[in-house]
Amino acid sequence: MDFLGQFLVDAMLLGGLYTLMVIGLSLSFGIIRVINFAHGEAIMLGAYASFWALHVSGMDPLLALPLVMAAGLVVGLLIFRVAIRRVLDAPHINQILLTFGIGLVLQNVALIAWTGDERSANPPYAFSSIMFGDIVISVSRAIAFAVAVILVGGLFFWLKRTELGRASRALAENGDAARLMGINVNAIYGLTFGISAALGAATGVLMSFIGAISPFMGFHMLVKGFAIIILGGLGSIMGSVIGAFVLAFAETWVAYYVPGGIGWAEGVAFAVLFVILIVRPRGILGQAVEE
Amino acid sequence: MTAINQTSLVVISAIVFLGVTLLSGPQVGDWMFRISTLMMLAISWNLMANAGLISLGHSAFWGVGSYAAILSANAWGLPIYLSLIVSMVFGSLLGLFLAVATGRLRGIFFAISTLALSEGLRISAFMMPEITNGAVGLFLNQALRPSTTLLYVVGCVGAVIAVVVSVVLSRSRFHFACRAMRNNEPAAQMLGIRPYTYRIVLLAISGAMASCAGGINAWYGGYLDPEVAFTLHFTILSQIAPILGGVHTLVGPIIGSFAIVGLAEASRIFFGQQEGFSQLIYGLVLIVGILFMPAGIWGTVRSFLNRSATRKRREAAVASAAGRAEVKG
Repeated sequence: MDFLGQFLVDAMLLGGLYTLMVIGLSLSFGIIRVINFAHGEAIMLGAYASFWALHVSGMDPLLALPLVMAAGLVVGLLIFRVAIRRVLDAPHINQILLTFGIGLVLQNVALIAWTGDERSANPPYAFSSIMFGDIVISVSRAIAFAVAVILVGGLFFWLKRTELGRASRALAENGDAARLMGINVNAIYGLTFGISAALGAATGVLMSFIGAISPFMGFHMLVKGFAIIILGGLGSIMGSVIGAFVLAFAETWVAYYVPGGIGWAEGVAFAVLFVILIVRPRGILGQAVEE
Repeated sequence: MTAINQTSLVVISAIVFLGVTLLSGPQVGDWMFRISTLMMLAISWNLMANAGLISLGHSAFWGVGSYAAILSANAWGLPIYLSLIVSMVFGSLLGLFLAVATGRLRGIFFAISTLALSEGLRISAFMMPEITNGAVGLFLNQALRPSTTLLYVVGCVGAVIAVVVSVVLSRSRFHFACRAMRNNEPAAQMLGIRPYTYRIVLLAISGAMASCAGGINAWYGGYLDPEVAFTLHFTILSQIAPILGGVHTLVGPIIGSFAIVGLAEASRIFFGQQEGFSQLIYGLVLIVGILFMPAGIWGTVRSFLNRSATRKRREAAVASAAGRAEVKG
């Protein structure tokens, strides 16, 4: 049996989803220099929002997507204002532990509110698939891939072509110089953090009709996200995109071609992470980052 | 505080600690046991934090120690103290591996690798059922199980040893080397400190300590599966206890362990066994601690004491100056 075509398609679709998952995380580190351990919870809350939208008002996840992203933006801005802003200049330990604490709170609020049962949003297209010769393409995964491509493209457009996006890149390059040019640092940081949370929430909406939702789903995705970021290079957004596809291909390859590989595929991220840390801690495209 | 004072304080509190555990009922004994194992974990975390290494994966050590203890006891019928030595050996080997693998990585890189280490070990434990019995889990051979009292004593002794180790280290060159590494690694190197060597020793000691705590707890619980052994719960506890008590201090992790077990019990009484509340409280403690009380309970108490001491000294100085002025006049 030859799985090559199926393998390539599956890996590509997974890679698109991973790109969207990781790009918010990468954005907040690349620009604000805060590594956000609560990003997984943005994904989890986005997934629940989509689930409830479908179950309460029968709204299709794709229609709910813009609303959920707007809510993510607002919540991200609030969290930045209330907490993150205070630790911008603090040692990394404080940032790590603070965002970890925020994640813990969000996770357990979700657990108390909605119990730990696994759920799934089931729009009409969740279980349908298309055949191309002998390749099966799941419709929901194809939709998720398309949405991810649009959103990631939109982010790159924002960063490269708009005034605010350019300002945020200027902050990433040189904060002091940007400040001298009259850029309102805190406002841009807040906006970037909000966009990062919105992208996380969008990932959650897509996850809600691909896989199972539970209060703990965010944490597992977060660890994978870190593996991708380190693989691509901390601080490089383009690197994260490459890293996402590398991990997606590696995981899918293990699942298809290694005996008993479906269980081990979950562990590929950690193996990749350790190999990269030992061989090339800067990652594929990364800059040298102290700390 | 002089060295002799400090030593006698440690000895007296150790005796009190052990006495309370042995002489009181099973409920207090259980609390003291949980405080003891948490104390070992917290001290181990704090040792790493002293050198600027933030661990987000202490459950890796905890889990490896648990599996090492139960598996060695079941396989060779080892008594508890011998199996704990096996735990410590595996814990320090894991620390060594981490030190070698992370090389000179610090801060975020180190934190993420510890997180990945514990997640990776959890998945490995699931995927190697011939050793760990996978998701089905593993029971301690009931014939080997010691009395609960003995387990309480082992817990207390472990905690006391951990405190003694941290006190001894705090007076050695080792402590100052670690502190220098935390503040500025290149500068520490220029002073003739080889960070790599110190880091290997530090992670081995710290790993052994956390694994020993895990091993003791495994004997107490008597059951293991990958979710139980590598649960995120102990990663969280190991960091919030020192932070609540006062990170980078000797007393901090000890105070923090008491406070955390107290908080856990309080939340159990107020909210019952419902899932999530204690973790929610831990998260809030972490946020509030970092934002408003970064020096922890001990740091806050100490700065308060210092302030009142300074005030007294200043008042005394003013009074004596006034006295002199009167004599002159």
